[in-house]
Amino acid sequence: MRRSVFVVIGSALLTIGFVMVVDGRGGFASSAQDKASTTEVKIDNFSFGPAAITVGVGSTVTWINRDDIPHTVVSTDDPKAFKSKVLDTDEKFSFTFTRAGTFPYFCSIHPKMTGKVIVQ
Amino acid sequence: MHPFDIRAVLLAKHAQHVVLIHFPIALFIVGVLFDFLAQWKKQHLLATVAYYNLFVAAISTIPVVVTGILAWQWELEGQKLKGILLMHLVMGCMSSVLICLVWFIHRKTQGKQGKVLPGYRLPIEAVAAVLVAVTGHLGGFLSGVNGPG
Repeated sequence: MRRSVFVVIGSALLTIGFVMVVDGRGGFASSAQDKASTTEVKIDNFSFGPAAITVGVGSTVTWINRDDIPHTVVSTDDPKAFKSKVLDTDEKFSFTFTRAGTFPYFCSIHPKMTGKVIVQ
Repeated sequence: MHPFDIRAVLLAKHAQHVVLIHFPIALFIVGVLFDFLAQWKKQHLLATVAYYNLFVAAISTIPVVVTGILAWQWELEGQKLKGILLMHLVMGCMSSVLICLVWFIHRKTQGKQGKVLPGYRLPIEAVAAVLVAVTGHLGGFLSGVNGPG
């Protein structure tokens, strides 16, 4: 009887420990991934904010238009690495950077609006 | 861009539309004002002044429409427009047609003895002037003249 109790308690502890380890690894992994993969750039008042960001390779940058008027997000390099459609208010555009480098971009409707993504 | 850098100005793919648009707007509104004055004061000279303003306004709509459509095709790669951009395009085309229509009405009587300008032109001119003003307002809003840049 006493042995059975020890087995049950031991099994339970092992299970709990296993779950904690797996969950901990998953949690660690996903939080690191979040840091690396999700970056938001806000478009407002005729500017990109922040105008320059640094992200890791494989990260996705999302631009969201919080301005009252339409904007675009177009890379200045040739051929263009990325180019959004016209973004109306609250519309988003996302791009995943798969290689390192500096990617300057601008709004093709308002060429004075510029920004830069540095991928390391 | 330096304001006197002619090469940069000419090669900027949609800068020309923003510059040229001021000509038909100014000429048309002034032309309409002279025509209303001519109607009020019953002066033929003012009507002639109105005619030439409207004539040049009508001609200047051609490069404006062309550069506007080129800006759409080059900068936005002709993608389907919506919202303010679509309104600006549609109202811009309607304004151009009305400007040319007003000039055409004037042209039928210009320089012809005994021919009187029809009264219905005045409401058409008033509607056209409002449409031009609203289109210009949308264009200014789009180009960000009130923005920090």
